[in-house]
Amino acid sequence: MDGNEVTISLKHLRKSFTKNRDVVQALDDFNLDVNQGEFVCLLGPSGCGKTTVLRIVAGLESASEGDAVVGGKKVTSAGPDRGMVFQEFALFPWRTVRKNIEFGLEVKGVPEDQRSRTSSQLIDLVGLKGFEDAHPKELSGGMKQRVGIARALANEPAVLLMDEPFGSLDAQTRNLMQKELLRIWSATGKTILFVTHSVDEAVFLADRIVVMTARPGKVREDVRVELPRPRDRTSREFIEVRGKVLEELDEEFEKARAKELSPD
Amino acid sequence: MNSIAKTLSKAIIANWLNIILGVMSLETFLILWSLYSGWLHGDWVFSGRHRSTSAEFLPYPWDVLSAFAQSFTVRDPVNNLYMTSHMYASLKRIFFGFVLAFCLAVPLGLLMGRSKSAEAIGKPILELFRPIPPLAWAPLFLVALKFFWGPIAIVFLGVFFPILLNVILGAKSVDPMLIDAARALGARRRDVFAKVVLPYTLPYIMTGVTVGLGVGWMCIVAAEMLGAVGGGVGGYIYNMVYQEGMYDKVYAGMAVIGLLSVLTTGVAALFEQRLTRWMGMK
Repeated sequence: MDGNEVTISLKHLRKSFTKNRDVVQALDDFNLDVNQGEFVCLLGPSGCGKTTVLRIVAGLESASEGDAVVGGKKVTSAGPDRGMVFQEFALFPWRTVRKNIEFGLEVKGVPEDQRSRTSSQLIDLVGLKGFEDAHPKELSGGMKQRVGIARALANEPAVLLMDEPFGSLDAQTRNLMQKELLRIWSATGKTILFVTHSVDEAVFLADRIVVMTARPGKVREDVRVELPRPRDRTSREFIEVRGKVLEELDEEFEKARAKELSPD
Repeated sequence: MNSIAKTLSKAIIANWLNIILGVMSLETFLILWSLYSGWLHGDWVFSGRHRSTSAEFLPYPWDVLSAFAQSFTVRDPVNNLYMTSHMYASLKRIFFGFVLAFCLAVPLGLLMGRSKSAEAIGKPILELFRPIPPLAWAPLFLVALKFFWGPIAIVFLGVFFPILLNVILGAKSVDPMLIDAARALGARRRDVFAKVVLPYTLPYIMTGVTVGLGVGWMCIVAAEMLGAVGGGVGGYIYNMVYQEGMYDKVYAGMAVIGLLSVLTTGVAALFEQRLTRWMGMK
């Protein structure tokens, strides 16, 4: 991994949609380059459009203006070259763990023996051995998200798009899953674009933290986190970075709130 | 350990109590029925009473039971058929009507649930015909479609709407996030349909089937009473009232219909259970 090749390139993204006959500007000239193998966190006040950015990269939504380019190809629709992990897991409840993981391969027409070989490897990687034949409802939140990650990895995507993947987990599980994700990341070398509203999570995980402005969302600050891994949440350096990012975010949060209180 | 044993024995006792209560409820019903019959007939403690003219309408439970048993061994006086032939005739109509309705309602429901324009086209027609009770069609169908297809068509209408409405509901309520997830994993339109929409809708289809079967039995009894030929339990009940005045056989026919309805919905429920368990939904 040379780390200099741009994998995700977002140029002048604009997105507006209508809500109750009002036009809402979600994104306004959003620009971002993510290098190969990089772990980038999108951070911003709620409603700032960070999920919209992710969904545009995934091809689940289209930008009103501007281009999203992934791996040199312009994004026109959803595709298996970009794996997506959802906050609410979005597992297929009627499929077992193994069958959930194999979904993408099935759709691609990969033969069964090869499918099960891949899913077995991924089950090992995310630590779900022994739960192959369990259904999602039998799993805890953390385990469900392990399935979600394995399922996204099965297609061997160039990038992993994660939409607040640990947002609905309790604090302990969340911390554990963050460590697990870093382990999986270093094992697979994927490029990760990770949406969160937790400063702590972003500082713990990311190579770069992209702080977004309040709606309409654009890049306010691109913070490089140089701390060595594994990061210690109680170290002085960690708290310093955290404080700096928090300050940026607080300002945007105040702006968002002021806007909410005085609608134009 | 002691407390576990205590809770266990409590649960067992509660279970037995419920069974005993159920048996007692049925027993009380049968006793009250017998007493009322006795009162009408002027038997036992009511022997001082004259036999009411309406006594024949309420035979004793044991008379109904023997009429029930007899209907399987003795041919009925009107059609000269055993009860099994009547059951076969009714089941056949239910089967054909049901299969036709199912094969049409499921794809149509999926289409209307997933496509806005299909819904825009189908909804007005659906809302036009839905409020008309299927039995309102019965006389017309029997005359126009004759006695083979007539009753089947009535059953068809009875089964069709419950399935269609449930499938539309199910197809509409598919979690959009699951569709997003499938698309992000490379699923094309038809994959999304076959691997997400269809499995998601299955429990709704089964609900429609169960409701539809109930309505179907209602329809078949009425259609047969309106003159479907070639036997049928509904026709049997009708004939026993209007041609023979054999009221014990009337009640026996009602019991047969009840049993058949329980049987078909039971098969559907079993199928649903298997399906949902296999799919891991339950």
